[in-house]
Amino acid sequence: MNQKKSVNSLLIKVVIFALVWWVLTDGHLQSWLIGGVAIVLALWAAKYPPSDRPVHFLKLFLFLPFFLKQSLLGGVDVARRAFQPKLPIDPLLVECSLRLPPGAPQVFMTNMVSLLPGTLSARLENSVLTMHVLDQQGHYMNDFRVLEEKVAEIFSIPVASTEIGERL
Amino acid sequence: MIDLFSVLFLVAGALFFLAGTLGLIRFPDVYTRLHALTKADNVGLGLTIAGLALQAESFSVVGKLILIWGLVLLAGASVAFLIARGALQRGVLPWKR
Repeated sequence: MNQKKSVNSLLIKVVIFALVWWVLTDGHLQSWLIGGVAIVLALWAAKYPPSDRPVHFLKLFLFLPFFLKQSLLGGVDVARRAFQPKLPIDPLLVECSLRLPPGAPQVFMTNMVSLLPGTLSARLENSVLTMHVLDQQGHYMNDFRVLEEKVAEIFSIPVASTEIGERL
Repeated sequence: MIDLFSVLFLVAGALFFLAGTLGLIRFPDVYTRLHALTKADNVGLGLTIAGLALQAESFSVVGKLILIWGLVLLAGASVAFLIARGALQRGVLPWKR
């Protein structure tokens, strides 16, 4: 990572931490004496565990609308199924090999999968994510790959081939 | 007008919480129940937070509400994953139609 980029990312982190402090303290002037120290400590803590995959903050921000839409769809989907007398579910365990490298990208992906409509992360082992699918007739695989590509963008990871998840 | 939107958001949020609880009771196994809890309750909380944010006195209160929502999302997704993984490790088989 070049010098300019790392300065930018540091600045963004300072702004984010300052914003959180302002939110927590209602921006009382005296509180910034402690807030300044807290921000420095937070910057230091954010370095551990060290990551060679820096987060692309703009891409993360652009991910928000997609995330909100998907989690709303996920909620509506599961609510609809819970209310219907026939209980229209047809669950399945699916193993998918991730195209993302281990560490933060895989953990982020694992958490996001649980918020997609109809999927729930159940195991992450050797870059293979086991997910529980609520309805195997759904287009969960497509959703999964789209999400994976978005996560790859956030961590600036090139993804190429599209593998199809194996059925368990 | 703002009150009306607040009420709409809060009622919709309550409906999602109801759906989540209904799913928790009606769904057949631990995995499907987790689906209901994580997804429906997250949307329920999001709508409740939206309804409350409209009534907030200052932007820092709105910020606090959003912060709470984000932390609950993070905790919900992580804990759901841990429970599902624990069930798999104990050999709990998923319910099949």
